[in-house]
Amino acid sequence: MSATGIGASVRRKEDHRFITGSGRYTDDINRPGQAHAYFLRSPHAHATIKRIDASRALAMPGVLAVLTGDDLAADKIGGLICGWMIHNKDGSPMRAGGHPALAQGKVRYVGDHVAVIIADTLAQARDASEAVVVDYGVLPAVVDTATAMTSKTVVHDVAPNNSVYNWHLGNKDDTEKAFKAARHVVKMNIVNNRLAPNPMEPRAAIGLYDKAEDHYTLYTTSQNPHVARLVLSAFIGIAPENKLRVVAPDVGGGFGSKIFIYAEETVCVWASKKVGRPVKWNSDRTEAFLSDAHGRDHVTEAQMAIDENGKITGLRVHTIANLGAYLSTFSSSVPTYLYAPLLSGQYNIPAIYAEVDAVYTTTAPVDAYRGAGRPEATYVVERLVEVAARQLGIDPAKFRQMNYITKFPHQTPVIMMYDAGNYNASMKKALDAADYKGFGKRRKEAEKRGKLRGIGFSSYIEACGIAPSAAVGSLGAGVGLWESAEVRVNPIGTVEILTGSHSHGQGHETTFAQLVCERLGVPLESVSIIHGDTDKVQMGMGTYGSRSGAVGMSAISSSKLPRRTSISRTASSR
Amino acid sequence: MATVSMTVNGKAVTADIDPRTLLVQFIRENQLLTGTHVGCDTSQCGACVVHIDGKAVKACTTLALQCQGANVVTIEGIAAADGTLHPMQEAFREHHGLQCGFCTPGMIMSAIDIVNRKGNDLDEHTIREELEGNICRCTGYHNIVRAVDAGAKAMAGPAKPMKHAAE
Repeated sequence: MSATGIGASVRRKEDHRFITGSGRYTDDINRPGQAHAYFLRSPHAHATIKRIDASRALAMPGVLAVLTGDDLAADKIGGLICGWMIHNKDGSPMRAGGHPALAQGKVRYVGDHVAVIIADTLAQARDASEAVVVDYGVLPAVVDTATAMTSKTVVHDVAPNNSVYNWHLGNKDDTEKAFKAARHVVKMNIVNNRLAPNPMEPRAAIGLYDKAEDHYTLYTTSQNPHVARLVLSAFIGIAPENKLRVVAPDVGGGFGSKIFIYAEETVCVWASKKVGRPVKWNSDRTEAFLSDAHGRDHVTEAQMAIDENGKITGLRVHTIANLGAYLSTFSSSVPTYLYAPLLSGQYNIPAIYAEVDAVYTTTAPVDAYRGAGRPEATYVVERLVEVAARQLGIDPAKFRQMNYITKFPHQTPVIMMYDAGNYNASMKKALDAADYKGFGKRRKEAEKRGKLRGIGFSSYIEACGIAPSAAVGSLGAGVGLWESAEVRVNPIGTVEILTGSHSHGQGHETTFAQLVCERLGVPLESVSIIHGDTDKVQMGMGTYGSRSGAVGMSAISSSKLPRRTSISRTASSR
Repeated sequence: MATVSMTVNGKAVTADIDPRTLLVQFIRENQLLTGTHVGCDTSQCGACVVHIDGKAVKACTTLALQCQGANVVTIEGIAAADGTLHPMQEAFREHHGLQCGFCTPGMIMSAIDIVNRKGNDLDEHTIREELEGNICRCTGYHNIVRAVDAGAKAMAGPAKPMKHAAE
């Protein structure tokens, strides 16, 4: 290992700008003549829009425009999309309700976008928003995940019982047999509550239109600018791809919430042509809570079948997944293919059957967040395992060890095949490190001091770097999950890597450079990583799901990196 | 409109502003110093911390007009004129005390203030308590605490050679 290659401890290259306050986050960027956008949002969870009167607002100082869903429709701008088709058990497609960037006819959650006010200053836009009169016909809300499908309140006409889809995975018959023959059955109702992602940097966007070239630029807080460009051009119809540049500069954390293509950035880029000025927007924290895609929100009935030897023989799960008021970009995949295939956990479970009902409610859209489906699966499995051990009177660590997969490769009943693993080794190490043997004594001692003491385990398995494209395509994904890298060696020996990955805290400018240093033997300072701009990097799928090491760096590694000798030859032949 | 004059990073500035202008807006939009960030609307997150007359203040909760005549220092003003980093900045880099960098200016400004008030030999408990007004969503705080500890010590005297972060 060299001093700066793979595995070396180096100072991060990107840190200098962050510690000196010279990072370039989207809201730090200003464009001459920029106008500011403020979104008027619904205060109601569910309502029809009878009338919007912007006349007073339009007369206020600095106001350039007040735009609504009707204006989007008139310009034939498409709605926001969900890019992963999930089918019902009967083969019919999921019920995708329309998702306009500005509400058309109806609002479906508190925070839903009703109008955008564009003015010279943000203060003027905010002031004017208070003068926009919206006549709402308030409707009953439906917010409870467990009962959404039996509610009389319908969120989208295409889904009369608020069902997005009813999907399943696994072997139902084998599972029924396992449960019939079981010596012991554990039953649990498990709630995985909704989370708000809250990266420290609120979302922001700047849309620009160049009249001379009929060309748009969008600066946006995105984890995947190429995906944003694809969706905005091919589906939403802002402009053909070659007339749309998307730049995701420094981004202050994402955790999944900045994967999706949102209403605000769509409106900013569309509106920049309409008002003839750059349109800048940034979210405040309240808006972030209201309208950044939320995570989790599952209600699950889970059951585990165990035989007379304490071996798990079956797992049966029925999950109701709340997808919120509209289908966000990857929402449909999260409680299906990112969830159910992980239900085997680290255990040898011969029969598994999962049924998932995804539902609409009048709440913020739910989509991938930090683990996206896998934490939900782990929680279900580990809670069942823990409760099973307690009910059977078996030590929870031992119960896990009795059921770990020990022969590899191991084909689970839920698509995933595990190639290698040694779960016992991890558990043994954990037991030693935690001095598990001494726990009983520590608990008694704590009791004497009036304190309760507990110890818990979680054995989990995670699917990340999800790929290959053909596999996910066959499961309904509308995009491939490849990654792209281009290596440029410049005449004096500096190296630039153009990567479709995006760093919003992950440190790619350092770690990707370390890979190149390792392979080419060049100094760390002479390697630059270029990401986040669709004009510079030809293609990419972005960063999420822990894919940038596995897929992004593999792309760099597989590229035809010149051999070390040719670098030094070029450098010396100046 | 109202006129405000103050010193920002050693430079005297005067401007006509909407009286509602927050100090953080004045710094970011008027002075184009974008290192100070806005992360919340409730004064909780600390991304906007600057120094006003030597004390850490949340710039999102201060009107620019309230700083009439004040001496304001932002993250851009703490390195030396020749670019030599402040020991606290150096410590954050050395100890991997940042990932996305968005909370970092506020963390560094708060950290310097902690040292100003509590001295150079900080214990972990004190650092964690004092950082309650600064939120980070990336790091889990462990390395930030290490960085503040190291930065505090380094602020005590002549620069000592620093060890690389352990993890």
